Amino acid sequence: MSSVEKKINQKEYWRSMDQLAETPEFKKFLHREFPEGASELGDPVSRRKFFSIMGASMALAGLASCRRPVEKIVPYVKAPEEVVPGVAKYYASTLPFGLNSYGVLVESHEGRPTKIEGNELHPSTMGASNSWLQASLLDLYDPDRSKYVLNNGNKSSWKKFVAAWEQISADYKESNGEGLAILAKSWSSPTMARLQRAFLKTFPRARWVTYDSISDENKIAGVQLATGSPLVPVYSLEKAKVILSLDADLLLTEPESIRNNKGFASGRRLTSEKDEMNRLYVAEPSYSVTGGMADHRVKIQARQMGAFTAALALELKAQGLSIDVSALSSYKNHSFDTKWLSAVAQDLRTASGQCLVTAGQSLAPEIHALVYAINAALRNNGATVNYYSLVDKALSSQADFSDMTKSIADGSISTLIMLGSNPVYDASAELDFAAAFQKLTHTIHIGMHADETGSQAEWHINGTHALENWGDARAIDGTLSLVQPLIAPLFNGKSETELLHFIASSEEKTAHDIVQETWTNLPGFSNSEKNWRRVLHDGVLKNSALTAMQPQLRMAAISRALTAKPFPTTAAKEDDFDVVFAASASVFDGRFANNGWMQELPDPVTKVTWENVALISVASAKKLGVQSRDVVKLKLATGEIQLPVWVQPGIAENTVVLELGYGHTKLGRIATDAGVNVYPLRSLANSYYSVGGILSAKGTTAKVANTQDHSSMEGRALIREATLDEYRKDPTFAPEMVEHPPLKSMWEDHKYDKGNQWAMAIDLTTCTGCSACTIACQSENNIPIIGKDQVDRGREMHWMRMDRYFSGDEDNPEMATQPVACQHCELAPCEEVCPVAATSHDKEGINVMTYNRCIGTRYCSNNCPYKVRKFNFLNYTNDTPEIVQMAMNPDVTVRFRGVMEKCTYCLQRINEAKRKAKVDNRSLKDGDVVTACQQTCPADAIVFGNILDPESEVSKVRAQNRDYSIIAELNNRPRTTYQAKIRNANPALVEEKKEHAEHV
Amino acid sequence: MESTVKSTEAAPANGKVPLILGNPTFNTVTETISGIVENKPPRIWWGIFSVAVVLAAMGISMIGYLIWEGTGIWGLNNPVGWGWAIVNFVWWVGIGHAGTLISAILFLLRQRWRTSINRFAEAMTIFAVICALIFPGIHVGRVWMAYYMFPLPNQMGMWPNFRSPLLWDVFAVSTYFIVSLMFWYVGLIPDLATLRDRAKKGVRKYVLAAFSLGWRGANRHWQHYEKAYLLLAGLSTPLVLSVHTVVSFDFAVSQLPGWHTTIFPPYFVAGAIFSGFAMVTTLAIPVRHFFGLKNFITDKHLGNMAMVMLLTGYMVGYAYGCEFFVAWYSGNEYEQFAFINRAFGPYAWAYWTMIFCNVVVPQIFWSKKMRGKPIVLFIASILINVGMWFERFVITVTSLSRDFIPANWDYFSPTIFDVGIYVGTIGIFLSLFLIFLRFLPTIAMAEVKFILPQANPHAHENH
Repeated sequence: MSSVEKKINQKEYWRSMDQLAETPEFKKFLHREFPEGASELGDPVSRRKFFSIMGASMALAGLASCRRPVEKIVPYVKAPEEVVPGVAKYYASTLPFGLNSYGVLVESHEGRPTKIEGNELHPSTMGASNSWLQASLLDLYDPDRSKYVLNNGNKSSWKKFVAAWEQISADYKESNGEGLAILAKSWSSPTMARLQRAFLKTFPRARWVTYDSISDENKIAGVQLATGSPLVPVYSLEKAKVILSLDADLLLTEPESIRNNKGFASGRRLTSEKDEMNRLYVAEPSYSVTGGMADHRVKIQARQMGAFTAALALELKAQGLSIDVSALSSYKNHSFDTKWLSAVAQDLRTASGQCLVTAGQSLAPEIHALVYAINAALRNNGATVNYYSLVDKALSSQADFSDMTKSIADGSISTLIMLGSNPVYDASAELDFAAAFQKLTHTIHIGMHADETGSQAEWHINGTHALENWGDARAIDGTLSLVQPLIAPLFNGKSETELLHFIASSEEKTAHDIVQETWTNLPGFSNSEKNWRRVLHDGVLKNSALTAMQPQLRMAAISRALTAKPFPTTAAKEDDFDVVFAASASVFDGRFANNGWMQELPDPVTKVTWENVALISVASAKKLGVQSRDVVKLKLATGEIQLPVWVQPGIAENTVVLELGYGHTKLGRIATDAGVNVYPLRSLANSYYSVGGILSAKGTTAKVANTQDHSSMEGRALIREATLDEYRKDPTFAPEMVEHPPLKSMWEDHKYDKGNQWAMAIDLTTCTGCSACTIACQSENNIPIIGKDQVDRGREMHWMRMDRYFSGDEDNPEMATQPVACQHCELAPCEEVCPVAATSHDKEGINVMTYNRCIGTRYCSNNCPYKVRKFNFLNYTNDTPEIVQMAMNPDVTVRFRGVMEKCTYCLQRINEAKRKAKVDNRSLKDGDVVTACQQTCPADAIVFGNILDPESEVSKVRAQNRDYSIIAELNNRPRTTYQAKIRNANPALVEEKKEHAEHV
Repeated sequence: MESTVKSTEAAPANGKVPLILGNPTFNTVTETISGIVENKPPRIWWGIFSVAVVLAAMGISMIGYLIWEGTGIWGLNNPVGWGWAIVNFVWWVGIGHAGTLISAILFLLRQRWRTSINRFAEAMTIFAVICALIFPGIHVGRVWMAYYMFPLPNQMGMWPNFRSPLLWDVFAVSTYFIVSLMFWYVGLIPDLATLRDRAKKGVRKYVLAAFSLGWRGANRHWQHYEKAYLLLAGLSTPLVLSVHTVVSFDFAVSQLPGWHTTIFPPYFVAGAIFSGFAMVTTLAIPVRHFFGLKNFITDKHLGNMAMVMLLTGYMVGYAYGCEFFVAWYSGNEYEQFAFINRAFGPYAWAYWTMIFCNVVVPQIFWSKKMRGKPIVLFIASILINVGMWFERFVITVTSLSRDFIPANWDYFSPTIFDVGIYVGTIGIFLSLFLIFLRFLPTIAMAEVKFILPQANPHAHENH
């Protein structure tokens, strides 16, 4: 559209909104629509009326301008010649996530973002994404977001806040900011860095504290200990042949999981039995997705991770690696599996320079330092792992946060400004932050929710979502990118940069101007309109990555630290439990707690939804006499909680794993009552685990909604798995695993030999079970969330579900995952039995649903061997707030109650690709159609395409000897096939594995 | 002399024990049976009727809520797409079978003892099929679109899917209902005319007159009537076999382990007759007790029905065993698992309830003494109906709850609405049946008269 037209429309629009906003009627509406602390979905009548007024004002303004950001967002990644209603546009943007940032492409329909995908040009996403990036979209449309500036909980306005700040700041300007503090979450942004400097210039004596409840602090501190400089390690798993992860969930909850997945999968992918694949060892107390992918996994108690790392270093030394272990002699006598350690050490030594040892965020800095030394000795530093400086980044510091809280308590800090932080919720009970908070004279909070902290603050400013306002970011390797808004702030919120800029300068400026101001003088960027647009278009500033550092190892410093603070060597025994605090695979640190998609996404390992549970091992459960769903009381020095226990095979003995981020009281309707807040239990000395936990059964049981009751495959050939050696001996084991009589059809088959014949292939060797596909599918296909009660009844609607099985030793099982969506059988059993022909086949081999025709007999589902058909038992979309409806993909029908739904192979994307090809006057080519799950999969495990094209990716994959289909002995001819799971077992450890297996 | 001898010989030839006891005349038959309709009902009728109506009202209001809210109010879940609704449907259809079997097949087989029980057995059929038909209607997700099941011309040019067993079901059950209703009604005409002739008051007289279609008992009427009755009996006979065969196809044609079984058609038909006779027995015993019909529905009738139950009980018992054998013999792991899971899985309690009720309980009928005790028969017949309900539950739910992919397995637990609607249909059934007892002749007067000794003018001659 032309800028002139937009200008006129914009003005009209905002003017009419303003006018409307002044009327008492409208004010009443707004208030009634979003009452404070509403616990149930709002009154539909008033909501409808509100939106009809919204609609009227939009109609006056002209549809083209509705809620468009004021600044120009010209660049399209895939630009149509002109704006065509119904044709989606894609904009590049960036979603910041602590020290990391993830470049995304956002699909926008007529001005409202509807889908997030990875940006191929961004080093941290490379075109893929994870469930959190996908789910960020729903956060934008969260109906529980705060809508106003609040003053002591009462509705106020930005103007009033501006006036109030003038008064508050006057004193602090005189005192150079003495008594003023800012508490921020970690960030990675040139603009924030500039504003931080500006703030500290205005208020030189003010405190700036960065605190995240889960952060890379230990990791960076470890590297600093080892090298003298605070650097962050970034892994190149694609170069690693042998990987040892020490409690590092590289593939899911650790930062850079997408990059890690891409690298790991590329080192693991097989095209034939002749290929080589990487080998993954994992040692961990909990059971992570990465642990599930391990070729060999050991469970080690959290407190013993240090001693285990030391034992590994000793073993490497014993095998001849040049590493200084003088400080480690006390760890020689240990109870770890020496055979395991020796095999791993040997493997690492053999792959020296092409292997990697990684340690997780939760481990102590000393372990990270030791790991650095090991990697240095193995010549991995600079090869499989690179270290980057923290430019334009704020690093979280637990110590700073504790100090600040103490200063608040003793009165030396009187005004606290919180940028998105929620310390009332996530501080350790040892700090008693809530009490300190009451002592502050002024509290200013900005955030998307009037959360536990925001609702208590003197001033709460409704913040913006990354898709609503301007910003910038640096990826972990320093690559610069812009955060480009897709929509004007839905509730007229302010971004953190706008607030910070105002506080630092007492001058109001839009985020766009603030960011542009930063970029005018940004080193490495030559400012011009053209270059600015280029960055907007690409989403990244090309070649802006930092150069990796090559720091020198300071072994003496490590040895000193290890001697000063030795690792605990005794194991937790009997009644003594280690309590591990882990990031949730669903809500992470709680930031996705009010996100229905994430709450309802089954945990990749436990398959529990909507809450956190106390994970314990089978043996511990037996010892305590409890089973899953029994409520237990957990007592620690910091306090006690009650929550249901969940027996998870493979958890270390005498260990309870608690997931962080649940149990909110003020965040919103979704988060309230979902799980238990375990943050207060954390100790300041060690945030990630506590010792001395005492568990006792309460004698009651709780309802825990889990989506998979049965974890054994019952010997059925669903996931066909072999070790690399076995595969090499018998390359066609997978398709030959099931014997059946010749399959004959009762009638003449449809040939399916013309045009496009769609099929999907899923590689189980690289699939980690991270479930990003599930959320991508949910976002793309408007799949409703149904709530804990309905999930508990077994009615979850995910079209793409992730089956997870355990095998082998009950104490340390192997995990295998299998994404299952509609298999699009050529002789589909569902189609035979539908009495009204509501499900049928199209000529391109897709099993399609006609929702209008479906009467809901559920016979199709009964006859589906895969049970991938999901039934709308109730009207799940009836209560969808209008604002959430904005997240819906207009290309996909929203289903009413009483109809069956299921995967369509993203038919709407196929049709879109066909239309594009037709406009270009060409036929479809491989890669034109990318399904949502395929697009998102960070492991590139999903391939989709036309099987009649022998050159298509999917044809090639299907031609591999690992290719098989499940339950095909029914002669249903599924179009989705799987590539057998191959584990690269170390022959030296295979014997042991078998021994364990016999115990079962 | 000769004739005397013949006469004494004739008695055992016509039946060792007379079919109708108490040496009734045509007149006493008419008086006794019409009396039920014309006199005030016993107090027990009101008692049971009010309970039944309350249950029916509860069931109907729950159905209303179901239609308003959706099938989610039931306990169904993703693997278990069919639950109580389908179980109840099959159960009710099965019960309906006895009526047609008694009236049509036993008629064609010249089983003269049938005349005492065929009328209310047929009524039971009609009401059971009404209850059955409620379920396929309400169990679908979008009730208001259920008419898509019928081959109606429409602007979409869409036919239903003729390959779907559910569609066959629609035809089979609706045909069955219509034919059963016609058969019942045709059989009622002479008796309705009798009641009309005896009616004194206005409305009753006119209604009965309308429904008796001007029956005057003329010779031509009787000729046409008997021909029509015979034809309808012939028409109904294959339906007895076909309906439950088609119902069993709902399961057998699918490929779910535990459903995909060729034994289902005969097994279902046997089960249907089994449960149908059990229900006739359950109803006949109180009816004959409270309405004084012991001379019409004699212990011999009850004994005969017990023997039918014993036989069909063996047939279903054989089917249970045979399924296990075939599952083992098939070598198919899914099939084998489905049956082991039935007997030893989470629904083992349902399976063993079924075995006890359907296989163990009928064994009591080996004893002639027990067959002669109405109270034993009454309890046994109720247990058999419970067992037959569980048979359908076991087939439907256990197979679905654990099928091919273990990740999908889920346990089904009913909600109050599953139970309430089922109990509601029992209320509907009983209400209808009690209304029938009050307003229509419970026993086919005209037919009973046929089998009285007086009806046979040549009884004294040896043919």
